[in-house]
Amino acid sequence: MTIVLLAVVTIALRFYQTAQRAKQMTLIYFGCVILLVLAWFTTSVDLGFLSPSLLIEPGWLDFSLMLFFFTAAFFGGALQLYNLADRGFSLRILIDVEQTNFHGIDADWIVANYGGGKGLTWMYGKRIEGLLETKLIDRKAEMLELTSKGERAADVLLAVRRFLRLEPYP
Amino acid sequence: MTLNPVLATLIAVAIWFLVFVYLHIVGLRSRKGNVHWLVLSYAACCAATLVTVVALSVWRDSGQTLLLSIPIAVLTSACLFVLYVPAVYTILTSLSVATLILLRSTDGRMPETSLYDRFATRGIIQQRLCVLVDAGYLAENACGFSLTSRGRALARAFAFIKRLWCLGPGG
Repeated sequence: MTIVLLAVVTIALRFYQTAQRAKQMTLIYFGCVILLVLAWFTTSVDLGFLSPSLLIEPGWLDFSLMLFFFTAAFFGGALQLYNLADRGFSLRILIDVEQTNFHGIDADWIVANYGGGKGLTWMYGKRIEGLLETKLIDRKAEMLELTSKGERAADVLLAVRRFLRLEPYP
Repeated sequence: MTLNPVLATLIAVAIWFLVFVYLHIVGLRSRKGNVHWLVLSYAACCAATLVTVVALSVWRDSGQTLLLSIPIAVLTSACLFVLYVPAVYTILTSLSVATLILLRSTDGRMPETSLYDRFATRGIIQQRLCVLVDAGYLAENACGFSLTSRGRALARAFAFIKRLWCLGPGG
């Protein structure tokens, strides 16, 4: 089913891409979950060839594991792959370096040419737009400010960073 | 009453995964190199999981359920790992998270230009370049930075995915 999911995601992103691609992928995942559940209920437990020693019993455990493995394959696999490909900062640097014939690449060159020539300001603008879309921040005139949802998220993240004793941001 | 062999396997996996999370957090708090410590602690806990599962199976039924228990243990542990790592990296490296935290520490509001001056800078790039050199994806020489073979393979793989899924420039 993971292969089916990847195939459907590929077709959807190539031919029917929407503005909110992660949401589109998640909807496809839920569609595949429904198919998976139907397949589980309509096929025999041993699929007609598995030996009894390879069957997971009781049935609820088999069913739960199936959902867990598929969910992990999506959220930890397919969706993560998308996130890295679409938003991976370091990966984009590697791709920019790979795709140029220019020698003598340094930080200044990347600042100007990041994201296939769009530049670093574009990259950060994309992050800001993401935060605005998810209503974690709000734009008021020239100012950006946290919404109450953003404040709660920031408090949790700050607490986790303090707990992990991570260095403050530069 | 005997415990279901699959359930016993899952409990062993969960316990050793919690041990891994604990070790990883201890490593982060004591500022050990994150990637190295993450891999090392996970590999150790994964090995301990397998030893536990084999020992349980041998003790219960002379190893008759090993053919089922080992794949389930490996798969479950791997699934937990791929769900855990992205969450950790979001907290460690995400610029969006950094923006939220910075805003929180400045009364919740800042001029947009100040945020750009803070995060869309040469310094951020320089920091990432150092990380990429340390990880073996880039090499630095007199002319500047160039890809290592490992970095080139990774860049090409992801460039292919971007083309396949029509993701645009991204990043």
